[in-house]
Amino acid sequence: MKTKRCVAMILAGGQGSRLGILTKNVAKPAVPFGGKYRIIDFPLSNCTHSGIDTVGVLTQYQPLELNTYIAGGQSWDLDRGSGGVYVLPPYTSAEKGEWYKGTANAIYQNLGFIAQFNPQYVVILSGDHIYKMDYNKMVKQHEKAGADATIAVIEVPWEEASRFGIMNTDEEMNIVEFEEKPKNPKSNLASMGVYCFSWKVLEKYLTEDEKNPNSDNDFGKNIIPAMLQDGRKLIAHRFDGYWKDVGTVQSLWEANMELLDDNPGCQINDKEWRIYSKTPVKPPHYIAPEATLRNCYITEGCEISGEIDHSVIFEGVTVCEGAKIEDSIVMSGAVIGNNALVYKAIIGPGVTVGEGAIIGSADDSARKDFVNTTICTADITLIGADVTIGEGVKVAVNSMVTEDMQ
Amino acid sequence: MKNDLLGLIFAQNPEVSMGELLAKRSLAAVPFGGRYRIIDFMLSNMVNSAIINVGITTPYNYQSLTDHLGTGKAWDMDRKNNGLFILPPIETGDSADKGQEGIDVIHGVKRYLTRSQQNYVLVADCNTLCNIDFDDVFKFHLEQGADITMIYHRIPEIAQRELKRHILLDTGENGRITDIHVYPAQQKTDMSYMHMFIIRKDLLMELIDDAFAHGKHSLAKDIFLPNLDRLNFCGYEHTGVHLKIDDIKSFFNANLAILEKETRDELFGLKNGMSIYTKVKDTVPTKYGKKAEVSNSIVADGCVIEGTVKNCILFRGVHVGKGAFLENCIVMQNSQIMDNCMMANVIFDKEVILRTGKKLIGQDTYPMIIGKGTVV
Repeated sequence: MKTKRCVAMILAGGQGSRLGILTKNVAKPAVPFGGKYRIIDFPLSNCTHSGIDTVGVLTQYQPLELNTYIAGGQSWDLDRGSGGVYVLPPYTSAEKGEWYKGTANAIYQNLGFIAQFNPQYVVILSGDHIYKMDYNKMVKQHEKAGADATIAVIEVPWEEASRFGIMNTDEEMNIVEFEEKPKNPKSNLASMGVYCFSWKVLEKYLTEDEKNPNSDNDFGKNIIPAMLQDGRKLIAHRFDGYWKDVGTVQSLWEANMELLDDNPGCQINDKEWRIYSKTPVKPPHYIAPEATLRNCYITEGCEISGEIDHSVIFEGVTVCEGAKIEDSIVMSGAVIGNNALVYKAIIGPGVTVGEGAIIGSADDSARKDFVNTTICTADITLIGADVTIGEGVKVAVNSMVTEDMQ
Repeated sequence: MKNDLLGLIFAQNPEVSMGELLAKRSLAAVPFGGRYRIIDFMLSNMVNSAIINVGITTPYNYQSLTDHLGTGKAWDMDRKNNGLFILPPIETGDSADKGQEGIDVIHGVKRYLTRSQQNYVLVADCNTLCNIDFDDVFKFHLEQGADITMIYHRIPEIAQRELKRHILLDTGENGRITDIHVYPAQQKTDMSYMHMFIIRKDLLMELIDDAFAHGKHSLAKDIFLPNLDRLNFCGYEHTGVHLKIDDIKSFFNANLAILEKETRDELFGLKNGMSIYTKVKDTVPTKYGKKAEVSNSIVADGCVIEGTVKNCILFRGVHVGKGAFLENCIVMQNSQIMDNCMMANVIFDKEVILRTGKKLIGQDTYPMIIGKGTVV
């Protein structure tokens, strides 16, 4: 049988409930990012650049848009005769059919998929981070050390360490202990949710884990601790680039705004490591004589006649005369009407903001119908996909608008 | 239903002169409109008209064109049957000379025509940019029972010095073409031929064979004119935007024409969904700096703009430095304009670098061209 050195599995089934209305109809990995990308473009492009040409994408929650987006994998050069990208939803078999119960169970249910390629190593990735990483470096370290599993770690500030899964290592980067969200962290090396396993070891542990009815079927909670207990060789692979979890409205907004920094942490303008995405067929954008632009990202198909300051504008957005957009993210196809004002907001795809409307208004007279301070922190206002905001409507700051407002 | 019409596009045109822009590429591969090549328009029109078999004749200088077209994937033309065929002069056995005209070119690709399943051929130059549904033209052709349908548009008044670049048509009853004026001295009609026609394949081959055997070269003079009485020539009017590119001036003006919203919306098919496809480059969105001043300009992805840009077309990956000032310029892919430069009425080919503080001024009637890869 022909073998592959490495197969990648991307866990893309998560709902991402902390992203609120942004994940109402799409899974978290399909959430738009950075003007023309979706979150999953980052792990997929990383795979392509790392020379991994066989990728399984495990979907479960609202997979339709993600399936359409990935299609045959052409956008990432993953339309291959041998290998390529495969969308793997849960399925039924003669004995039973079930949803993916946990991260480990999701991979367990697709052991058959991996076995077809009989790889030496399996790289497991999560579909909800923004980062550029050469997985090949991790696989090489794994191979050289003769490890059973390698976990990518990144240094996080000590004061935040208790929010992460923390790896305690010895001097040779052997993992001696794994602590999920420890109160008193002994190390600041956080797991990035990026693993490399030797295939046979992974197969064994997943099969055993499945037999244990008390298991949560989770890599962090079950598989890694079980391997540590058995004295398997687990090593940490240190990553020191930009890595950002975009699991909340605030972190998604921040990650977009960081692209506008003078020296952004995540260099998306990197010719050696392009982030691929499905490119819409749109002409270049047009900037009208009345437009004013300051420190912003604008992409294809936009028609800009208003003022844009410190914002990220996706494809096909129309910003009419007199409109002003500040510190915001405006997703594809949105229309911002004449003299409308948008402050510190995330405007979903296909939204229409009527003439003179104000999004993110701190005014007392602003409509507070949709204020939601659990999802919308840090004064961010969120307008859901395809919502219409009527003429002159003032939407209060921290709102998450799910329906049209007249 | 499979389309019975195949497309044949000429990637070169011996009557076009565009200096440096054609030094290293064919006419079809000349960049246009921020992210396109000239060929994208004719090819996308054909794809949008459900034509599934397109041949592109490339008599010489075709490397950059084949690089752009690849397998035809960007146009959805990478097919098992039919699809996109790039036709270099291999079938004639000689390397083609640069002045080759329509009859010789078509004669050179006879084998491709014979082997294609389609019974009708749409023959088109690549250098008239428009958004047109050839399916409508084809239906018209069949309904009229035409032998040859020539597509034209109306130009009420053609400047005297422009006349020698037009082929004008006279029509009688039922739109039948009664006379053809090839590069006339006087304008007698307002119908200007757009260098696109539909014909039955066997008739085309018969006419080409006969003309070739008599040492003829020009489609208009040697095939259309002598057969006007014998065959049924019909005219089909295209009423929308048409931008003909046949010299530097018309290239410059055609680019600036898309700054008009109506022209842009129609040409790029924003209203009717007939999009113009091109090769995807995966460039990042364009970054506007804190001091950028941009007005009335078309900007493609991957640019970094920190200076002032007025009435310009900027292609992918162009950098405009701080304090730089650009007006009425066309700047092609990956060119860099460094800090405090000033330029007006200039065309930059790809990968030109303008060093800090330099000034380049062309005339609006005669734009300056800087060749590919030049460092100024």
